[in-house]
Amino acid sequence: MKVKGLKKSYGNKPAVNGISFDVKKGEIFGILGPNGAGKTTTLEMIEGMREIDGGSIIIDGIDVAKNPRDVKYIIGVQPQAAAFQDKQRLTEIIEMFAAAYGERVDAISFLDEVQLSDHASNFVEELSGGQKQRLSIAAALVHSPKVFFLDEPTTGLDPQARRNLWELVQYVRDKGVTVIMTTHYMEEAQLLCDRVAIMDSGKIISLDTPKNLIQQLLKRGFTKKQAVEKADLEDVFIDLTGKALRD
Amino acid sequence: MSIILILVAIALIVRIAMYFGFIKVKGDNKKPITKKKDPKAKTEIGVRTDVDSRSLKKQLFTVMVFTKLNTKRFFRDRLAQFFSILFPLIFLFVFGSLSKGGSSVSFNVAIINHSQSSFAKSFVKELDNSKIFKVNKNTTTLSEAQSKLTKSQIDGIIVLPSNFGANMPGQSYPSGQAKVLYSENSNDTGSTLTTVLTSEFKSVNARYVNTTQPFTATGEVVKHKSLTSFDYTFSGLLGFSIIGLGIFGPVNVFPELKKQGVLRRLHTTPLRVWQFFLSTMLGQAITGAIAITIQFIVAIEVFNLKVDGNYFDIAIFIILGIFMILGLGLAIGGWAKNERQAAPLSNIVVFPMLFLSGTFFPRYIMPEWLQKVTNFLPLTPVIDGLRLLTTEGKNLTQVGPQLGLMAAWFVIIYAIAFRVFKWE
Repeated sequence: MKVKGLKKSYGNKPAVNGISFDVKKGEIFGILGPNGAGKTTTLEMIEGMREIDGGSIIIDGIDVAKNPRDVKYIIGVQPQAAAFQDKQRLTEIIEMFAAAYGERVDAISFLDEVQLSDHASNFVEELSGGQKQRLSIAAALVHSPKVFFLDEPTTGLDPQARRNLWELVQYVRDKGVTVIMTTHYMEEAQLLCDRVAIMDSGKIISLDTPKNLIQQLLKRGFTKKQAVEKADLEDVFIDLTGKALRD
Repeated sequence: MSIILILVAIALIVRIAMYFGFIKVKGDNKKPITKKKDPKAKTEIGVRTDVDSRSLKKQLFTVMVFTKLNTKRFFRDRLAQFFSILFPLIFLFVFGSLSKGGSSVSFNVAIINHSQSSFAKSFVKELDNSKIFKVNKNTTTLSEAQSKLTKSQIDGIIVLPSNFGANMPGQSYPSGQAKVLYSENSNDTGSTLTTVLTSEFKSVNARYVNTTQPFTATGEVVKHKSLTSFDYTFSGLLGFSIIGLGIFGPVNVFPELKKQGVLRRLHTTPLRVWQFFLSTMLGQAITGAIAITIQFIVAIEVFNLKVDGNYFDIAIFIILGIFMILGLGLAIGGWAKNERQAAPLSNIVVFPMLFLSGTFFPRYIMPEWLQKVTNFLPLTPVIDGLRLLTTEGKNLTQVGPQLGLMAAWFVIIYAIAFRVFKWE
């Protein structure tokens, strides 16, 4: 995936101001940045949901600006909030999303993959936040996309569900799907992402592997105010409550 | 009647079959995913979706699945069922009972009898039994009756003076003059009441004084079937029900779906607007078929509706009506970003139609110029056509003008709906 000089402005305000980056096949690419930095706008333009004011995006040889629908067939999108209509069974949601791509699938096998097959005939409103997020991922993958987008997938989840989601993202990547995600949790980006782009005010201010970015900072003479502790509160929490997924 | 029962039976069978998955929509099974033990080998993530997956057949498969799932949701949603089935039925009962009672004329009157004569007593009894007069028996004093008259609770007061029914000196028969009191602002009622009472007396007079009447008039029932007011009421209520299905449905649901981000999520898929519209249209047509069938059954069984037309024509016409009116709902619900935008706009569109297209009041009571204008409202040809097909025994080709107007609106409304639709 190649992004070149991408621009978008609302009125006179530039939201995305000429950004360029490449994403390699099979990597997990993170887009980080404070609120309003232009992350979501960037994602939406890549996903073909928003008109592109300037620059170009090529995914797997397809120009998004020219063929936004063609792009939709090869990407899967998991939006920030897992939004489903209630009174629908989990299997029906999977069937519906597959049908949107003109496909018919075995819904149970997809639910199985995100450990939801036990709830297959439940209504979606009966699920917990973490379960909904997993269902959302399954729904985004029904058509075997090449690129998978996640927008702040772990916001609001408990530590167990978060860890489970990380594993799921890595599992999807291991199947050869390119993953592009945004997050506000730096430890998540550090753990998952092969490379991260840090955005601010519509520009990419840094792009590298998490390791290199940390090295560069240390080279500039940065030291933490406090010595790194050997464990933190999250370690305590996981130690006490276990890693097992709660539903 | 039997045809309706058959329709209901078919609808139920289709529904049950759909539920258990006996009826499957034909899709492309080029890539069947069989259930395997190993979850990792199951999905072929990374396989290119070929161009074939965008064929029209597959796009229609999408529509069928969405229709099926939306219909399933309707059967689980009590609130939606209430609004599309029970709500119009309540209106049917209310307006049906009103128009049923309205077919015969009667007057609410109070009788103030000051006379003790036996003739007066028997005359009061006669009025009590009369079908034309509804005697308000609780009212016995004149002042009480007058206060009721000013409140329009009664149409008039019949006063029998104290000498009413007494034999006048030198006469062998009783005589007297009843007085009819009526309110100034209901002159028509008052003079009709006087006339009716006069003719009542005429038959009484004939018993005592034998006279020949050179000129008389008699009434005769014309055999031609004419429309009862219920016929107008029923086609109007069907129109109301179509408005409910077509406009209130999407206008209430779409902004909610936008708020939850459901439509935005669907927009990340290649789903096309026409697929979304078409699946909504088919879903509402199924819902409408069920709701309107129930209304027909109630109208026939409870309100003695005589259906003169062909049920097939009626069904086709109703579905076309739902499609056209639904376009308004799709346009408003599809355009509005939230409920605050949707509610006022839908009221602006719905209220003129509710009051001017013949939903609750027949259009023939309107002044001519207003009828000419309201002829062109989208709902008017639907209601007119329904009445022509249902009770006037016309067929589809005879409602050509109505169908033509509906087609014109269909094109205009859907052109707008596609243009203004927003996914979020």
